[in-house]
Amino acid sequence: MTTENHDHAHDGSELLSLDQVTASSPQMQPLARDPKTMETKISALFVLSTLCFVGFGVAYWQDANFWLYGALLGTGMSFVGVGLVAWGKYLMPRGPFVEERHELASTPEERNAFAAALVERGGVTIKRRKVLGTLLGASMGAVGVVSLFPLLRSLGPLPGDTLQKTDWKKGTYLVGSNGRRVHIGTMTVGGSMTVFPEGLQDTDNGQAVDQTMLIRLEPNYPESNPANFKTKTGRENWGPSGYVAYSKLCTHLGCPVGLYEQQLELLVCPCHQSMFNVREAAQPIFGPAPRPLPQLPLAVDANGFLFAADGYTEAVGPGFWERS
Amino acid sequence: MSTTTTPRTKRQAKEAAGPYGNVSRAVNELDDRLGVAKARTFLDKIFPDHWSFMLGEIALYSFVILLLTGVFLTLYFVPSQSSVRIPMDFPYAPLRGQRVSEAFYSTVNMSFNVRCGLLMRQMHHWACDIFVGSIVVHMARVYFTGAFRKPRETNWLIGSTLLILAITNGFLGYSLPDDLVSGTGLRIADSIMLSVPLVGSYLSFFVFGGNFPGTAVIPRFFVLHVLLIPGIIIGLVSAHLFLLVRQKHTQFPGKGRTEKNVVGTPMFPVFIAKTQGFLFITLGVTALLGAFAEINPIWQFGPYDAAKISYAVQPDWYMGFLDGLLRIFPPIEFASFGHTIPLEVFIPAVVFPGIVFNIAMAWPWIERKFTKDNEMHNLLDRPRDVPHRTAFGVAFFSLLAILFIASSTDVLANFFHVSLNTVLWAMRILTILVPIVTYPVTYFLCIEMQEGGRLIGKRKTANIVHRTTEGEYIAEPAAVRPGDGHHELDALPVPSFIEGIDEELEAPHEGELVEPGVRAVTR
Amino acid sequence: MSVRSPLTRHLRNAMLGVVAISGLSILSSGVIAAAAPTTTKAPTSSVTTTSNSKTPTTTSATVTPNLAAKCASLGATAEPGQPIDQSIVAQGQNTSEFNAGTPYSDVKCVNSSGEIVGYGNSAIFYTLPTSNPLSVGEELFLTYCSACHGVKANGVPAGGTTGIYPNLLGLGPATINFWITTGRMPAVDPRGVQAQRRTPRLTDKQANEVAAYINSLQPATAGPYVPNVNLRGANVENGQNLFALNCAACHTITGGGDALAYNTYAPTLHWATPNQIAEALRTGPGNMPRFTGNLTDWQVRDIVAYVSHSIQHPTNIGGVGLGGLGPVAEGFVALALGVGGLMLVTFWVGDRQ
Repeated sequence: MTTENHDHAHDGSELLSLDQVTASSPQMQPLARDPKTMETKISALFVLSTLCFVGFGVAYWQDANFWLYGALLGTGMSFVGVGLVAWGKYLMPRGPFVEERHELASTPEERNAFAAALVERGGVTIKRRKVLGTLLGASMGAVGVVSLFPLLRSLGPLPGDTLQKTDWKKGTYLVGSNGRRVHIGTMTVGGSMTVFPEGLQDTDNGQAVDQTMLIRLEPNYPESNPANFKTKTGRENWGPSGYVAYSKLCTHLGCPVGLYEQQLELLVCPCHQSMFNVREAAQPIFGPAPRPLPQLPLAVDANGFLFAADGYTEAVGPGFWERS
Repeated sequence: MSTTTTPRTKRQAKEAAGPYGNVSRAVNELDDRLGVAKARTFLDKIFPDHWSFMLGEIALYSFVILLLTGVFLTLYFVPSQSSVRIPMDFPYAPLRGQRVSEAFYSTVNMSFNVRCGLLMRQMHHWACDIFVGSIVVHMARVYFTGAFRKPRETNWLIGSTLLILAITNGFLGYSLPDDLVSGTGLRIADSIMLSVPLVGSYLSFFVFGGNFPGTAVIPRFFVLHVLLIPGIIIGLVSAHLFLLVRQKHTQFPGKGRTEKNVVGTPMFPVFIAKTQGFLFITLGVTALLGAFAEINPIWQFGPYDAAKISYAVQPDWYMGFLDGLLRIFPPIEFASFGHTIPLEVFIPAVVFPGIVFNIAMAWPWIERKFTKDNEMHNLLDRPRDVPHRTAFGVAFFSLLAILFIASSTDVLANFFHVSLNTVLWAMRILTILVPIVTYPVTYFLCIEMQEGGRLIGKRKTANIVHRTTEGEYIAEPAAVRPGDGHHELDALPVPSFIEGIDEELEAPHEGELVEPGVRAVTR
Repeated sequence: MSVRSPLTRHLRNAMLGVVAISGLSILSSGVIAAAAPTTTKAPTSSVTTTSNSKTPTTTSATVTPNLAAKCASLGATAEPGQPIDQSIVAQGQNTSEFNAGTPYSDVKCVNSSGEIVGYGNSAIFYTLPTSNPLSVGEELFLTYCSACHGVKANGVPAGGTTGIYPNLLGLGPATINFWITTGRMPAVDPRGVQAQRRTPRLTDKQANEVAAYINSLQPATAGPYVPNVNLRGANVENGQNLFALNCAACHTITGGGDALAYNTYAPTLHWATPNQIAEALRTGPGNMPRFTGNLTDWQVRDIVAYVSHSIQHPTNIGGVGLGGLGPVAEGFVALALGVGGLMLVTFWVGDRQ
């Protein structure tokens, strides 16, 4: 043990355990210099809290303002709390008291006995019935494996190739969120809008998977009508009348890339700020996105309405294992 | 004990029961059946009084608030993604007539049309933010004072599991209202699942019951949020508290405090009164926050719709470090052999938190690898006395803190009027730099503080400065004046490290090296 | 339940508050009073929600007496709008849509000299600004604008540096009006990446005079006249929907704005007037995309109504709005006030030595 002169509380009295003190010991006295005043103060707190709680009831009954409920409840609770703490801190035995820690560890004999019970009684029994033990293990293993089937497999359908494809097909018309087809005159240069496959603009899949950003980069010049906007070699005919369309799903984490900056000609992902150069096949130029946004080949019909010349040629959205 | 003779009068009955009247009677009745009197040691249990030991109580009591308010919320929340039309008499005009999910409608409905509903919702959300925050602060206290050392490794493990569960459940609850912000969070969570090699798409399909968003995720998250995870949390909290009582509390070194005792206030009545008071104060603070500070006003965000998006959407603060790392991580997708591994998602969102929480959980064993310390520890360390642990902790927390800040690159860029791209690059550099710098700085600060402790309490001697006729200044020490007893102010050598070794413990283990007695090391 | 007037309701609430709080708590009444939102009445809106949220798809122009009167006030006669000239559409300088900020609207007002001086419909009416005499606008232009945009407004200043300053010819009065009335022009820092909203240096009348002058140099081909939004009958529900789909990606769902790529930013919407919002949508200032045929005038009106009612006056029934910053601000408050405050309490409850 430590030396004696360390064994004192702040006021010089010895550290005693609860059993060693009497009602008149200094440890049992309240901390408050003037317990009577303190008692009055605490009583006041309790009275105030009661009034607050009653007020809460009245406020509820009267359907008062929202903040009044919280204010009354909060102040009431705080008053009770402060009162209770003050009661414990100032009016109850100030201590400190000491308590010896009991031994957590058992004696070596007890430990040995425990180990013996496990090894000798249990071990011997199991060793003698080795076949039973193995069979039980096999049974438990089987139930463990098969219970995974209903637990996991029932949760949902297998992905199949649903992640690889969208509803865009050759000839699908582009529509806005109101379901109307998009004419080449709908937007001027610098315009952008979200488009969906016709008829799917209000469906979950249409919104979650097929959503596409349509952007107009160039005007139509009379001499080269329809003028195609080429974003990349091999995409010579994908951008009629200066329109380009990219999947609105970020290749990073699938957020809708709805942020178009028309002078910088950048599509920016609002979630993690990946930036895609719209003029150059939506190549990512900054941020965590690893791949360009897939481009949708467009075409214009005789009446000037835009439709998909083909579906997406690659899987849209974030990367996943099966994506080639 | 039980009485054998049948008392005839009331008075006799009272006397027979014992000296304390009705209380004695009640104790007798209960003890006959349950043996409650043996639990007196529990009433006598001594709790050390230091304020930092109450940080865990904040977590416990905010969890109590979460349970209470959460029960209220379940009475009004409809966990369904089926579509309803918001009635035309709804108080908030922009939502009137919109087609939304039942989850969203029931949440805004309880906010606008149920008395106290919004208060309960806000208290629930504030209590959640406080819950996770206080767990982190509590864990930091335990870490920096070395309270996790033997024999308390199990409780450290339970505690860190509780942190993970709290964060998980926070995210699940955040997702339930199906508003624009939480829906975007779900979309990101889906993509993170997809990023797992081999099983990613299956994982995503099994959680969402099909392709995102599906119709299953809200009901499923609801069950996890209100039943499964709170159940596990309650179980683990009970185990946490049971172990606390069983192993008794740690304490800081001080007068009379040894490895073998606990100094403080008894469970009954002092600790009970204080801790119950603190419960009410926690309730009060949460209710006041709920009343005056708006949190998650989902009516302003509107319902989720996979094609809609808001800029500057962020998860709750405890998920911020993941979002930050996702933002600053370079685009390094692995794609060949017909397969894709989106490492720019998988590493920051799956591998990194795995490493963080594994280090956190395994810390007691990691530290033992270095210190080879297998002693029982009931007295706490001062952080400066364990400079390597303190330095590692500070570096670890500063890494998480910088990642948390990185989740607000846009807000920072907007606030300081600097380029968003610059901020992002600055964050990339700082993320690597800050932990590397904070480790040695903290380490040497600790060493300095250990050294500097010696000079505390010493008084400098006075000098008298003369000016000679040539204008030269000469300083000479002043004479000692009566009452200038320097020895009065000389600090007593405070033991910076007291170690009590239990005789019974150390005595009989075979083959174990036994250190003799108690040593008080003075620096 | 009896029907109570808002006044008595407020009075009762106030009385309850006074009696319950300030009378009781010495400690916290000050805090509460400071933190309490001053108005907490249920959100009311002068906007009447119409059941018809979809855009009228009809292309047949209807000249209502109201619109005719508007034309008359401009000193012009009302004519029904005509179908769209496909040759203009083909140039990509105009929209194929009816009622989308072009003379191809319900009504167009033609004055005696055959000039179109206004057009529009019941949602938005676009008027050509006037300067009487034109020299007033010219003088203002030469004083405030020509140093950068050149005396011919073609973006070639006296120094001859081209390519830096925009050519204003043909941009349309709405563009000129927007940049001047939002105080972005005359620019404080002409070489800056993005002009900031400021207190305007020219009055609305002067802005119109400058716009009229520039329009007189070359009539508007690429942009609309100055819009005047009629919020009566607007549908904020539809506005919320369109805002979340088209605007929130940059301006955030609470309209606070934020930093975008490089040094650009989406400005806050909290100070924009209804007409400025419509101008911004129709002209696409700076990096903002331009909404022409993809939003009809009715849809623009709905968005304007949503922004000016719900975003500029957010319904913060839950207390202090925390700036609409969302979880970041909330987390900060929870950690500082919640955890921090409770830690201060533990200082008192527990021992400090």
